[in-house]
Amino acid sequence: MTRVDGKKIWWFLAAVLLTAMPLVLAPEAAAASLPAGGETSWWIWVLLLFIFSFFLGIVSVLAGVGGGVLFVPIVSSFFPFHLDFVRGAGLLVALSGALSAGPSLLRKGLADLKLSLPLSLIGSISSVAGAIVGLRMSADSVQLLLGIAIIAIAVIMMKAGKSGYPEVGESDVIARALGISGSYYEPTIDKTINWKVHRTPLGLVLFFFIGFIGGMFGMGAGWANVPVLNLLMGAPLKIAVATSGLVLSMNGAAAAWIYIYKGAVLPLIAVPAVGGVMLGSKIGARILSKVNTGSVRIIVIIMMVIAGLRSITKGLGL
Amino acid sequence: MSNTDGQHKPEIDRAQLVYAAVLDVVSHTGMVLIAAGFLSYVLRLLPLTVSVEAVASHWHLRASEMNHVLSVPSGWSWVQDPLHGDVLSFISIIFLSMAAMICLVAVIPVFFAGKNRSYALIALLQVLVLVAAVVGIAS
Repeated sequence: MTRVDGKKIWWFLAAVLLTAMPLVLAPEAAAASLPAGGETSWWIWVLLLFIFSFFLGIVSVLAGVGGGVLFVPIVSSFFPFHLDFVRGAGLLVALSGALSAGPSLLRKGLADLKLSLPLSLIGSISSVAGAIVGLRMSADSVQLLLGIAIIAIAVIMMKAGKSGYPEVGESDVIARALGISGSYYEPTIDKTINWKVHRTPLGLVLFFFIGFIGGMFGMGAGWANVPVLNLLMGAPLKIAVATSGLVLSMNGAAAAWIYIYKGAVLPLIAVPAVGGVMLGSKIGARILSKVNTGSVRIIVIIMMVIAGLRSITKGLGL
Repeated sequence: MSNTDGQHKPEIDRAQLVYAAVLDVVSHTGMVLIAAGFLSYVLRLLPLTVSVEAVASHWHLRASEMNHVLSVPSGWSWVQDPLHGDVLSFISIIFLSMAAMICLVAVIPVFFAGKNRSYALIALLQVLVLVAAVVGIAS
């Protein structure tokens, strides 16, 4: 192993440990050790949020999940910010990551605009509805449902397989009418992959529900978008991952405005979170080839289960 | 799925390339604005509408409860008096939240020019949903 590789492994270990740190600390201990906010302490929380978001950005790239799905349950359980502000920041974390990666993925033909538009139209309507419902519910109810949702997502991530190049026999009527198909160059096998999709009507229905959950909890929805695009609709895995980001950038924007109008987006919380995750994602992309992403994924699933359980106990007032 | 050997450049739809070009400019501009706005906020380079300490003292409250106590920027409330550090930081977030809408507005004429009326309509509907959210109809 070279010296550079060693450094990258240390980055990886530090990222996992620091991201998991809030999970092993009792929330009461964290709350007791730091003031809740106020005249002198605000910058400590803002700095901690930036550092946490930075390492979260690294881990989320390595695990192949969006930052939002880990950001909301962990930050809402272990930082002094109200869940409203955490959800507002979570949506911005999810959409800004998708925005920054978008141009390159679109030019390579990996993110597909025609595949994303019908799905994001349905998803953005439901994500607005989800955001409205989420902000009207009591914080304890949302926290409880968030915990249940996070554990369910962890189970989906464990169970769902993935298919690099699914076989699609015949496109459905909607996909044919809208001309949803494309091609991209796959350097690992030196081939141009031509793809098409099927089961678009069922995909649209599922994207409605995914958008609702994403808006309600302020999470990105890559955990659900990718399996639906890949396993159900038959898009190649790389197309599914890249197009999921494009859908997310539109759905997240629609839901984010509900939070913006309700005063639930505070720059003091949202900006360090967005900046930290984006910087961390760049580091994560650099060390991606040097670490065992399967192991990281297992660690992330365990973190999600713990964060989900904490969220449930907090929601129940225990 | 079907494969073709060799390295030839896949054909990318013109609307998609336009979307990518606009998104590139908008996302980079957004990142610069986010950084500049936040620095002007926390370093107090401009006066603030609500002090950082006051926000931090209330960030444990629900958004609706905080709004009763403090007048933090929300929606378009900042338009009448934008020259404050916290407002500039908020505006940078507003800009980022409008990125997808700006890109979609740019591709609608491209879809029309390519006689792709189905996608022009879908993109238009998507813009209308986002506009409804942006102007507060959905809220």
